[in-house]
Amino acid sequence: MKKRNLPKNSNREKIRREKDPIPWRYCLLTLCCGVFLVGGFFFAARSHFSSIDFGIKNSSLKKQLEDLESEKRRLTLLKEIALSPAEIKKAAKKIGLTEMTASSFETVRPVAEEKSEKTLAVKETKEKPKQLVEKTVDAKPVEKVGKDGISKSAPTTAKKEVKEKSPTQIARK
Amino acid sequence: MQTAFTRFMLIVAFFVLWIGGIGARLVHLQINQYEFLRGKALNQRRDNTKEKQLRGTIYDRSDRALAMSLKVKSLYADPSEIEDADAAAKEVAKVLKVKPNDIAAKIKDAKTANKRYIVLAPKLDEDTVQKINDALENKGLRKGDLPRFAGLHWKEEQKRSYPGGSLAAQVIGFSNADDIGSAGIEQSQELALRGAVIKGWQDRDRLGRVYDESEEEEREPPKDVVLTISHSIQYKVEQALAQGVKNSNAKSGMAIVMIPQTGEILAMANYPTFDPNKYNEFSAENYSNRAIHDIYSPGSVFKLVTYSSAINEGLVNPNGEIDCTKGFIEVAGHRFNDPHATKWMGYDEALAVSSNVAAIKTALSTGKENFYNYAQKFGFGQATGVELPAEASGIFRSPKSWNGDSLASMSIGYEISVSALQMASAYATIANDGVRVQPHIIKEIRQDGKVLSSTEAQKTQVVTADTARYLKRMLREVVLKGTGKRAQLNGYTAAGKTGTAWKYNAKLKKVDSGKYVSSFIGMAPADNPSVVILVVMDEPSGGARDGGQVSAPVFREIAEQILPELNVVPDANIRQETLTADDIPSEIEPNSAGKTESEKTAKNEKADKKSADAEKPKDLKEPKKENKPPSDNKKGAKQKTAALMIEIPKNKSSGAREEEKT
Repeated sequence: MKKRNLPKNSNREKIRREKDPIPWRYCLLTLCCGVFLVGGFFFAARSHFSSIDFGIKNSSLKKQLEDLESEKRRLTLLKEIALSPAEIKKAAKKIGLTEMTASSFETVRPVAEEKSEKTLAVKETKEKPKQLVEKTVDAKPVEKVGKDGISKSAPTTAKKEVKEKSPTQIARK
Repeated sequence: MQTAFTRFMLIVAFFVLWIGGIGARLVHLQINQYEFLRGKALNQRRDNTKEKQLRGTIYDRSDRALAMSLKVKSLYADPSEIEDADAAAKEVAKVLKVKPNDIAAKIKDAKTANKRYIVLAPKLDEDTVQKINDALENKGLRKGDLPRFAGLHWKEEQKRSYPGGSLAAQVIGFSNADDIGSAGIEQSQELALRGAVIKGWQDRDRLGRVYDESEEEEREPPKDVVLTISHSIQYKVEQALAQGVKNSNAKSGMAIVMIPQTGEILAMANYPTFDPNKYNEFSAENYSNRAIHDIYSPGSVFKLVTYSSAINEGLVNPNGEIDCTKGFIEVAGHRFNDPHATKWMGYDEALAVSSNVAAIKTALSTGKENFYNYAQKFGFGQATGVELPAEASGIFRSPKSWNGDSLASMSIGYEISVSALQMASAYATIANDGVRVQPHIIKEIRQDGKVLSSTEAQKTQVVTADTARYLKRMLREVVLKGTGKRAQLNGYTAAGKTGTAWKYNAKLKKVDSGKYVSSFIGMAPADNPSVVILVVMDEPSGGARDGGQVSAPVFREIAEQILPELNVVPDANIRQETLTADDIPSEIEPNSAGKTESEKTAKNEKADKKSADAEKPKDLKEPKKENKPPSDNKKGAKQKTAALMIEIPKNKSSGAREEEKT
């Protein structure tokens, strides 16, 4: 504020005060700075709350993932229990299935041989009811099935030995 | 004017003071009280967490889970947060279906003792947890975690489950309430399976939602163990073994199935067994893996070592014959009787009928040092190194501490203690053309699905392939014509040896002739074995007690079930045969005291007395004529072949079963 030294006799009613010109530029500048500051605050607040929001969503997704993993493990356990041999046996018994053993398998042989063997077996049983062991014809080994390195083909040495001496020719004591 | 200026300055001064005060307070809060306020804020929003990684899974060779852990929750109470213990106990008891007085007493005792953690319901599955949350929901209560009930919280834990139940229980073992392995693979692989405790923190908002979390440090996940065990083969073996033990009224039994070429153990069964899911309900005796923990006198099955060593050293001709005409042998003043020893016999027949005289003579020709070395090479007297805890090494004294008749006794399986796995490994050596492959039960170790390591078994050539072939031939005869007839298979050839040994009584410090360990160890198919199967019955009673009658049928049961599963091509015909006891020669027990029970051995004794004075074998080495070369005469032998046909027994009484148990 300016200090004005006015004469004593001046007619104050007639004197008009000088108006200061409004500094539009400075006002605009101040306004822009103010807007920038306020805007910055708003931006920071928005970032903060959106990061919190993302964090919450991220954690809930992690939790969901963990829950799904747990559920997967639980179902794997139930599956293993259901597929255990004891459970399968129970289920098979319920529906009337019986367990297979090696005696229920037969080696692959030509049909003609089978028929002749059957008649031979029948004859033998008729003739010698007390005989404990059936004589059968040598079986030809089936084709090799290789899996896991465990399956074996019929040994070729056995073939040779059979050719050299048939069992009936083995000397008896 | 002056007044206006003054007023203006006063206003300015007011604003300056006001802003200055705010500034000073800000400086004080953010600089002076920084640590205090930060700690308070963290305390309010941050939870420190401790989470244990889930224990590693144990798989079988086909990736079937045998043991796995699940996340479960335990309900616990913080008594300091519960105002009315009785009311809380009533509500909780209703949901948990327990007595309210018990819970009330627990809460009150904990309050008195200033405890802040008491478990009310341990290790509950997710469904039960949800039901409890719904039942205890108190909607008016503002609480960050579930259940929405004052003073109750959930704690994350893990529970070990064994989906196969008692399948391979002694092999897998179990982990205790603290998730620490206490037996079997769970114990031996504890370091690999154990999950680390991961510490971390979580930031929560005012509604309890987590918006930020982190772990303090990264830890490796636990490892998974893949076994060589096949769950289906293990099941079949266990079933057959259980039936065999019941049929023979035995005290216990054990069975092992191995692949001789790789040393992999496909099954290791014990009976009686237990369920690791509820191990507390079973006797601790059942936890023991007898197949590696128990040691026993093997008896005649040990003759494999006797004949292997002699044949490999070239000391006997496996196609020759041995003089067993006397019916007994005296070694260092002890007489070993043998009712089968009535003639010259080939080595095949000697093993088939389990002649003790033939075995002792063979061992005497081998000598102490050689015999001992071979037995050691076969793995006796030392642990096999299988990846299971507390494996027994057996008892096999060095020759320095042997008595005069120790070699004779050891040649027929006495004065030596072995484990079942050691015996199975010895037979697997012969099955594998004389190459001993270290038995193992772990196939590989994995982490996050990637294979970290796989087992490479040690291989040692113990005997030559030719020697192994001779032995296989001899073992084949045991099954065809000897004591192991009940091991004959449908569709497959088999070879093996029976063993019936008196048990050693530790209290009496001598063998107990009333108790037996009956075994059968075999391989199938005979010429190129895919599997070696051992069956041991401890103290069979109430009827037949020798290995041929008691263990061989179990071998047959197991082999006939697993060989088709292993895709082994049948190499023999299906036969239908009913063997009676008379068809099978029995095992003869060593008679060092010379006392027998049967008439036949009494007759032998009379004959012995006559010749006893005339023949006192001081020189224990028999004359060379016992290694008779093969000849064409009647006594000559017999180039035995691995016959595919089954011979009808000509004379049921010759070599027939004798009742004497000397």
